[in-house]
Amino acid sequence: MVHPLRDKAAVSGIGETAYTRGTTKSGLALQLEASLKALDDAGIDPRDVDGVIPYFPGGAIAEDFIANLGLKDLTLSAFIPMGGATCVAAIQMAAMAVTTGVCKHVLISVGRTGYSGSRVSTRLQQFPVFAQAAEFEAPIGMFAPAQLYAQGARRHMELYGTTARQFAEVAVVTRQHAILNGNVVMNKPLTVEDHHASRMISDPFRLFDCSLESDGGAAVIISATDRAKDLRKPLVTIAGTAEGHPDSPASIAQRPDLLEFGLVKSAPRAFAMAGVGPKDIDVAEIYDCFTFTVIRQLEILGFCKTGEGGPFVMDGRIALGGELPINTHGGLLSQGHVVGLNHVIELTRQLRREAGRAQVKDAELGLVTGYGDMGDGSIAILRRAA
Amino acid sequence: MSQAPALTAPPAPERPLPTPTRESQPYWDGMREGRFLLQYCSSCGKVRHYPRPVCPHCFSMESEFKEAPLGGSLHSWTVCHHPFNFFFKASAPYIVALVDMDAGVRVNAQLHGVPEAGLKIGRRVKLGFEPVNKEVTLPVFVAE
Repeated sequence: MVHPLRDKAAVSGIGETAYTRGTTKSGLALQLEASLKALDDAGIDPRDVDGVIPYFPGGAIAEDFIANLGLKDLTLSAFIPMGGATCVAAIQMAAMAVTTGVCKHVLISVGRTGYSGSRVSTRLQQFPVFAQAAEFEAPIGMFAPAQLYAQGARRHMELYGTTARQFAEVAVVTRQHAILNGNVVMNKPLTVEDHHASRMISDPFRLFDCSLESDGGAAVIISATDRAKDLRKPLVTIAGTAEGHPDSPASIAQRPDLLEFGLVKSAPRAFAMAGVGPKDIDVAEIYDCFTFTVIRQLEILGFCKTGEGGPFVMDGRIALGGELPINTHGGLLSQGHVVGLNHVIELTRQLRREAGRAQVKDAELGLVTGYGDMGDGSIAILRRAA
Repeated sequence: MSQAPALTAPPAPERPLPTPTRESQPYWDGMREGRFLLQYCSSCGKVRHYPRPVCPHCFSMESEFKEAPLGGSLHSWTVCHHPFNFFFKASAPYIVALVDMDAGVRVNAQLHGVPEAGLKIGRRVKLGFEPVNKEVTLPVFVAE
């Protein structure tokens, strides 16, 4: 039986601000700026938005959108506190809302002053899921994702022989892609040597294994496919989407397998909903909070077997022109950190064939993942409508 | 609401300390007494960590804290170089070891007295106790 959500909702509008290190704008202003661009991209009157899912914690609540954009009748407002998995998980919620008639157009937005405002170790304290880490791990000197996720990366290296050279390949390819995109924080070439010479943050993660602390805003609009097909831009439908939560969700330390994230549960559901498999994917935007996180997600997604993610990323396979181009915009590692909503925007551009110099030829089907909050995993498979 | 400007240097950064919950208080009380106490289900006997109200195996809400063995083997580790909290700047780089305790749970704690080159999955270590003030003692690993 075809899943009732398959291709019934669409990404109808996308918008983003400049990605920078340094801004005088608030997180709210960045979200509103990106939202207005997304609405203009779709050709939707701001007042017709009736669902809002702002990033939490991100300085904006749904009420701010009523006050600023004059929404006439907001019928859905929600926070999805899933860290880096939030934005793609919001696609599932928005798709459910617009296909059931609860909403016409749902706005998903992120605004972040990750460079000019509070930095990562301060922001994390606002996440409900970090209470256990605050009690048991912060006192021994473990606070930041770079530390909390490092033990999983180290275990993968010890068990499967994954190397820093393979981590570097993800960083270098991602930078090459960023340089093709005008709107990025990091626009100078990066070499393997640069990666290896960068300072150690939390072994095995060096500076260039870590995503950026940057400022910027991003927004997407989700509409029912029946409405979106009459809007301004080529139709890109949501073929499959899912969220997943790992066992021992609030403590990586107590997780039976450190390398089993929420994506282990959500990816098979999204592929089944879409009626496709990994071999059908033309382009993938993989949540890249760390280089290793990309390698492990490629395994979980079924592009290769567990333990083979390191060799998989080598030899140009994940670069433009390769077998599976990933993070064609520069990702969180080189474009900017707006919690992966930039990944959704880039995938939409690829499928609209609006990706400029980074365009994957004849891209028809792509996937985007979200990862965060100690290992929640969300996924959306998007399709260019015929 | 005016305030006199500070005339002295800012205070040294403080170590983040645990805020025990009603569930975890016995664990931290044990630490302070130099005892490794873990929560066991009174109904099915299974151990669980970190402390929580319900046994996820049999859903019993009755539990007791009992002393558990101190040995364990290394599951993974990280060497923290960048101090995300300034308190840890002086002691960086430090090793945080994730250990499969013989008791059947994992514990994350700093590993002292073992060089980075000596780290290997399965390496035996032993849990010790490091008092940080009158109220709080933290676990620490040393070579077995």
